[in-house]
Amino acid sequence: MLSILQAEWYKLRKSKILFIIFVGPLIGLFLGLTSNLSIDVAINEWYLSLFSMNLTYALLFLPLITGILASIICRYEHQAGGWKQLLALPVTRGKVFIAKYVILMLIVLAIQLLYLGAVYVVGMIKGITDPFPLEIVWKSIFGGWVATFPLVALQLWMSILFKSFAAPFTVNVIFTLPSILAVNSERFGPYYPWAQPFSMMYIGGNTDDIFFVPWDQLLTVVGGSFVLFFLGGYLYFQRKSV
Amino acid sequence: MEYVVKTKGLTKNFGKEKPVTGLDMKIPKGEVYGFLGPNGAGKTTTIRMLLGLMKPTTGTIHIFQKDLRKERVNILKRVGSLVENPSYYPHLTAYENLEALRKILGVPKKKIYEVLEIVRLSDVANKKVKGFSLGMKQRLGIAASLLNNPELLILDEPTNGLDPSGIIEIRQLIKRLPAEYGMTILISSHLLSEIDQMATTVGIVTNGKMIFQDSIEVMRMLSQQKISLKVNNSEQAWRSLLAKGIKADYKDDTVLLSEHSNKKIAEAVRTLVQDGFSIYRVEEEKRSLEDIFLQMTRGGKEG
Ligand SMILES: Nc1ncnc2c1ncn2[C@@H]1O[C@H](COP(=O)(O)OP(=O)(O)OP(=O)(O)O)[C@@H](O)[C@H]1O
Ligand SMILES: [Mg+2]
Repeated sequence: MLSILQAEWYKLRKSKILFIIFVGPLIGLFLGLTSNLSIDVAINEWYLSLFSMNLTYALLFLPLITGILASIICRYEHQAGGWKQLLALPVTRGKVFIAKYVILMLIVLAIQLLYLGAVYVVGMIKGITDPFPLEIVWKSIFGGWVATFPLVALQLWMSILFKSFAAPFTVNVIFTLPSILAVNSERFGPYYPWAQPFSMMYIGGNTDDIFFVPWDQLLTVVGGSFVLFFLGGYLYFQRKSV
Repeated sequence: MEYVVKTKGLTKNFGKEKPVTGLDMKIPKGEVYGFLGPNGAGKTTTIRMLLGLMKPTTGTIHIFQKDLRKERVNILKRVGSLVENPSYYPHLTAYENLEALRKILGVPKKKIYEVLEIVRLSDVANKKVKGFSLGMKQRLGIAASLLNNPELLILDEPTNGLDPSGIIEIRQLIKRLPAEYGMTILISSHLLSEIDQMATTVGIVTNGKMIFQDSIEVMRMLSQQKISLKVNNSEQAWRSLLAKGIKADYKDDTVLLSEHSNKKIAEAVRTLVQDGFSIYRVEEEKRSLEDIFLQMTRGGKEG
C-alpha cells in the first residue's frame, strides 16, 4: 500500500499540482486584504477577517478545487493508456482507489493549512491586535477539511468514470452552485453535502460541539454522503474494463 | 506438460458482439508463443483478460497453475506486459515513467538503466515522453514490461511502429530471453512472417476462435505440400510406382508423391530410373505459411 501511495504522489508531484495548491490560500489572502467588513459590536477582530475570507473560499473555492484535484490525479491515467499499465501491475484496484483518495485528502488538508496561514498573514498586515482565537480557527480549518470527504469521493468517482476534464467539472459546478442558496435556507442547508464546507467553517455556529456543526448533522449528512460516494466510486472502479 | 498459461472455454461478450468464444490456450514453459490472427480476431481482448484488465464472461484462466481470479496479484508479480498501443505518462520523462512503475514493483533503481539500455533509450531518458515518436514510446513500453524480470512476458504487437532496425533488435531480444532467463513469451501479431521468425509455438485465432495451436514445426509441415515429378511418361510412371507400393497421385501430367521424407523420395526416384523412365524435374510444391494462414482464417475450421 505504501509503495502505491509513493508512486501516486510521484506521478502527481510532477504535474502542475503545486501551483493549484497555492491558488486557494492566495485567493483567501486577496479576499481578506480587500474586504472592509466592520461592525460596531465588540467582537474579536480575527472573526471578522475570517468571516469575510470564508465566504468565497468555503462556499465556492473549496468544493470546486476538490473536483479539479481529482481530475488531475486521474487525467494522466486516461491520457495514454495509464490505467491499463497501472492495473496490469501487481496491485489491487481497491488499493489504487484508496491511494488516490488518500493523496487527495492530504492535499486538501495542506490547502486548508495554507489557508490558515493566509488568515494569519491577513491579520498581521491589517494589524489586528486581538488574541488569535486558535481553537476556533482550528475548528474551522479542520472542520472544513472533514466536510470535503464526501465531495472528494464523488469527484474521484466522476474523474475515473469520465475521460474528459470537462465532464466531472460540470458535475461539480452543478452541485456546488446551489449551495449558495442552500446556506441561506434553514431547511435545506443542513442536508446539502456541498454546503457543508461552508457550514463547518462558519464561525459562530454552536461552539460547544467539536465542530461548528452538530454531531448528528455531521454524521448523517457528511458521513452518509461519504459512504455513498466512496462505495459508489470504489465499486465502479472494481468493475471498470480498461 | 507444464503450462504457464492455460485457458479453458475463455469467452467474452460485449452485448451482441462476441470477440472471444471458447478459447483454449495452452502455453508451455519456455516457449515463444506466437498469437496470430487478423485484425479484430480477439487477440487484444484475450490478452486483456489474461492480465485481469477485463473479466471473462465465462471460462477460466490459469497462469503458473494458479487461478487468475484468486491470485491475481501474486501472478502479476511475475508477469510483464505491453497491451496494444504503448501506455505512458506524457508529463513524465522516460526515466520517471519507469520510476513510477518501479516504486510499485519494488525492484532496484539500477534496473531502470538496464532496461533503458536494452531498448536503446538511454540517451533520451530525461526527455518528456510527450515528445517521443511512436517507435520510441513502443520501446519504452517494452522496457517497462521487462522491469520486474518477468517469468511470463506478454507483448501485444510489440513491433508496431518500429523501424526495420528496431524490429530486428526486438526480434533478437525476444529470441534471447527464453534461453537466457527462462522466460516464457506470448507475442501477438497479425503478421505471419514476424511470428515465423520468433515463435516456437503458434496459436491462430480468427473470429474469437482458436483454429490452430501447435509447434511451429507442425505448422511448417502443413506448408510442405507435395513432391512433384516430371517424367517422360507420367501416367505409366505413376502406375509403376503404385505397383511397387509407393503412394502417389497423377494429375496434369505430373506424378505427385504424398510422402515427403528424403528416404521415400529417393526410393521413388530410384524405382523410376530402374524402370527406365527419364526424370526431368523433382520439385517441392511449397505453400507459403501465408497461404496456409489465409486458408485457415478464411475457412475458420480446425487446421
Ligand atoms: N470494449 C469493447 N466493446 C465492444 N466491442 C469491443 C470492445 N473491445 C473490443 N471489441 C471488439 O472485439 C473485437 C476484437 O477486438 P480485439 O481488439 O481483441 O482484436 P485484435 O485481434 O486485437 O485486433 P488487432 O489485430 O486489430 O489488434 C473487435 O471486433 C472489437 O470491435
Ligand atoms: Mg489488438
